[in-house]
Amino acid sequence: MSLLWNRRSVLTAAGFGTAALLGVELVRNDQWSRAFVDTAERLTLRTQRLILARKPLAREFALNDVSAHFPVNGSRVAPGDAYQRLVDNGFQDWKLRIHGLVRNPLALSLTELRQLGARAQITMHNCDEGWNAIGQWIGVPLGLLLTMAGLAPSARYVVFHCLDKKADDGNFYYESIDLFDAYHPQTILAYDMNGRPLPVEHGAPLRLRVETQIGYKNAKFVDRVEVVDRLTSFGKGRGGWWEDFDNAVWYAGQ
Amino acid sequence: MEDQYRHPIVVRVWHWLTAVTALGLLFTGTCVLDVHPRLYWGEVGNESTPAVVAVESAGPAAPGQPAPTVLTLGERHLNVTGLMGVPLDLGPEGMYFLIFPLPDSWHFGGMRAWHFALAWVMCLSWLGYCLYLTISGRLRRVLVPEPDQLKPAAVIHDLWNHLRLRRPRGREAQRYNLLQKVTYLGVLGAVVPLLVMTGLTMSNAVTIRFPWLFSLFAGRESARTLHALAAGLLLLFVIIHIVQLIVVGPVNRLRAMTTGFYRIPKEAR
Repeated sequence: MSLLWNRRSVLTAAGFGTAALLGVELVRNDQWSRAFVDTAERLTLRTQRLILARKPLAREFALNDVSAHFPVNGSRVAPGDAYQRLVDNGFQDWKLRIHGLVRNPLALSLTELRQLGARAQITMHNCDEGWNAIGQWIGVPLGLLLTMAGLAPSARYVVFHCLDKKADDGNFYYESIDLFDAYHPQTILAYDMNGRPLPVEHGAPLRLRVETQIGYKNAKFVDRVEVVDRLTSFGKGRGGWWEDFDNAVWYAGQ
Repeated sequence: MEDQYRHPIVVRVWHWLTAVTALGLLFTGTCVLDVHPRLYWGEVGNESTPAVVAVESAGPAAPGQPAPTVLTLGERHLNVTGLMGVPLDLGPEGMYFLIFPLPDSWHFGGMRAWHFALAWVMCLSWLGYCLYLTISGRLRRVLVPEPDQLKPAAVIHDLWNHLRLRRPRGREAQRYNLLQKVTYLGVLGAVVPLLVMTGLTMSNAVTIRFPWLFSLFAGRESARTLHALAAGLLLLFVIIHIVQLIVVGPVNRLRAMTTGFYRIPKEAR
């Protein structure tokens, strides 16, 4: 038998062939793909939780760094007359509800939110498409609201239910983060942007700022905040609109 | 002996794993770049800031005609109408201008998810392979140029052989030539680390912990641009690698990279 094609090389070639077939199946088979991608996402989450354990802050910029133009992405407006009426009277008839696994559900008007301890930050918004922009945000730290509401012991995630719908389906936008990111000092529900009340196209009345994560996690048009123990009861159960309908990763710290 | 056991199993497994991973990363990365084909220098970059490289619309398309497209490279603007450029109207979500159309079913978010998953495979296998190369001594034995290869005459001879697409003979056929070694070391030691580091500089969480990454690459958008540039180098390597493979004899090399055994070319024995 030649040295080129002895038993060992034939077995090795068969091994590589099998691996190649398994690789093809990994891409072709939805369940396998999802398991592979989800495993990587968990690895990213664990690694980044490790490096962010001491909760360092994202860079903050000076006022003159604020981008002259902050691109609008996602919905430009929430649908329906009801939303338009809210806009017309400056959201005076609107209240942010915080409910779910909390001891004291809250309903707070914008005026009441503005009376709570505010946080102002000038940060960089990084869109998953690749562009970025710097904006100034003023809002209530989410951690403060969650503390006011008092979390039940089983609370694990915070879901943001939004007033806007994506153009191509009937589902309302929603997003979710876990308690680690919810209590990050720079995670705020912003009512002001660049020194003015949050414009409609940027998500009035409230926009979530979660500086540890990328653009689409920063939900616009936030209407209510629900504290839950699992994400499976919303949409397709993957924790957000992009996660449900575009296979986006739920943990987007990458 | 007419045949040589050339590639240990670690090398072969790593090679094929990396081949698949690198192609997957280049593919998914290109799909991600496609939705915002503008590259910037500095900290901030978006639709209203100047781009150093961009595929942009040059006006509305006439019915049935390709969209007028301009490729911006620094100060230069090239008309690339018909070669690339596709407007995508997302109605209330605004207009996008892509390099090439992608099927909706591919899911942009899904492409990103695959990109990050494959990036983990690439990082971990790269790390493992570097450790293997160092600890086994293969780095010095096989990849670092030997003194005789670095003599000016040998360097010129090697370059001349490459220009003529001449296959190495004799002892030269049994080891990597100088350009080969420099290229492999460059990809392993520079291109892949640059891709990983610039990729991490685009991460919110990583840069919160390691903000010096921004200083290293002159800002987040510069990092993205360098990431695309390094990906271009990797793609160039893949293309040259495959062309070389075809030139020197694909069957023998592919067999060697699979079973480990390489047949020394006749004239070289």
